[in-house]
Amino acid sequence: MSLCVLDEEKFHLCCQLLLQLSEQLGDGWSWEGGQEGYLRKTALRSVVIDSSSVWDYEGGGADTSCPSLSEQQEGEQEQAAVDASADTDSIKGDMEDEDEDDGVCVASAGSSQLLQYEYHILHSCSYSTPVLYFRACTQEGRSLSLEEVWSSVHPNYRLRLQNSPLNTITMQEHPLLGQPFFMLHPCRTEEFMRPVLQAAQDQHRPVNYVLSWLSVVGPVVGLDVPLKYSTLLHPAPPPRQHRARLTPSPCVCQHHCGAPLYGSCITNPTIRG
Amino acid sequence: MADDKDVLRDVWFGRIPTCFLLNQDEVTEREAEPYYLLLPRVSYLTLVTDKVKKHFHKVIRTDDAEEMWFEYEGTPLKWHYPIGVLFDLHASNTVLPWSITVHFKNFPERDLLHCPSHSVIEAHFMSSIKEADALKHKSQVVNDMQKKDHKQLWMGLQNDKFDQFWAMNRKLMEYPTEDGGFRFIPFRIYQTLSDRPFIQKQFRPVSPEGHVHTLGDLLKEVYPVALPTEGGPKRFQVVIHGIEPLLETPLQWLSEHLSHPDSFLHICVIPVPSD
Repeated sequence: MSLCVLDEEKFHLCCQLLLQLSEQLGDGWSWEGGQEGYLRKTALRSVVIDSSSVWDYEGGGADTSCPSLSEQQEGEQEQAAVDASADTDSIKGDMEDEDEDDGVCVASAGSSQLLQYEYHILHSCSYSTPVLYFRACTQEGRSLSLEEVWSSVHPNYRLRLQNSPLNTITMQEHPLLGQPFFMLHPCRTEEFMRPVLQAAQDQHRPVNYVLSWLSVVGPVVGLDVPLKYSTLLHPAPPPRQHRARLTPSPCVCQHHCGAPLYGSCITNPTIRG
Repeated sequence: MADDKDVLRDVWFGRIPTCFLLNQDEVTEREAEPYYLLLPRVSYLTLVTDKVKKHFHKVIRTDDAEEMWFEYEGTPLKWHYPIGVLFDLHASNTVLPWSITVHFKNFPERDLLHCPSHSVIEAHFMSSIKEADALKHKSQVVNDMQKKDHKQLWMGLQNDKFDQFWAMNRKLMEYPTEDGGFRFIPFRIYQTLSDRPFIQKQFRPVSPEGHVHTLGDLLKEVYPVALPTEGGPKRFQVVIHGIEPLLETPLQWLSEHLSHPDSFLHICVIPVPSD
């Protein structure tokens, strides 16, 4: 039980380690706001705003609360038909050009824009988990709306987000700055982190909760975690595993976890092994 | 003990007489009359001001009207805080009615969340209840509820139905007798002295030694500035629902009786008026 609890102290330790690695890799993370602070990183990102995806906003964006399990199952049934056809296409497409996938959406008809992203990692004392906050603005300084943020999410993730344990993107008040930020809701973080932490414990492998968590939730909103974080943490991985980790592609397990895969599915470790 | 139920009613039916005035910079076709409402303390500004919007839409050019937002003495009012919290925090020593300025342009993107529909308020409200239950019961109670139960909580608030709301909310207020209270007390302490909007931490209703924690214990632990120094003058008021509860009040009792419908105990720390 305590395995999945990330208290404030543990959060700070994980962040310190992440900062050290970030410094070695020049990945740009910094600590802000004193003792009760947060990790911060900014990045320029070329994004295609897909204007054909407004339905997504209505479905997932308006409901900022997290669906309970029963709601989710209902939702899954309703969505099943839509998902079945759409998913097959995107998975097939993704597998064909697996190695070329650089995480930038190129499939849609919208125009590409250079956006400034600001990512914050905070600790949630209510859920005892890390939480990802972010905001994005154009080069002219205009903030992105929730609708635009939704449509900038890679279609592979977008299709599953409403029913995945990663849940949905909502606009919330930043609890330390008091300003509007987008947030990936933390209420089901424990659920998808448990197998990761359990596996690490069983194999007596050190695991950095914040780093592992970030490698799952970050790519959804364009924040990729370089593989080097992992290789610095665990030197000399077997070559085969190494190859598999190079290409994060959304998980194809039956659980629709939608998680990017770095080697193995978190809900079904056998699926790609 | 029989009186405790009355406390819930008094909290629920708390009202603030409010006068809405149109911002002077708005272009109007004729003079805008002020609009008066009794605002429920436990509700949200954007949930109870459809009439205000309709009223002012009559005098401004509808093409000019963007998303409505509110301001009090230069401070944009955050709709996602309960109305009573906004009043206690920004206006508790003001003359009634509370005078709120209504805007239809220049939405302060850096200060306020957008509120395009009531469903956004509902989502925010349910999200708070879920967060509070994560603290109180490790989310067990709220996750055991069905969708219609969640709806009942929301409809109770939206339609101002005390009995409908509390028939469901009492489940969220239960705890094993032997524990003496919730796992942690869902609370937020608001202040206006710094940019940080509120303080929220894990705090238990009972100490490991079995000592019942009070409001004073909580403040001493997480916001000692609010407490009077020995022999010194009182500098701050600690306000919940417009009153100053005794610092000796058990926190668990406060959580059960003075929490807002969103399950959080919202505590405002405000400077003592100087005059």
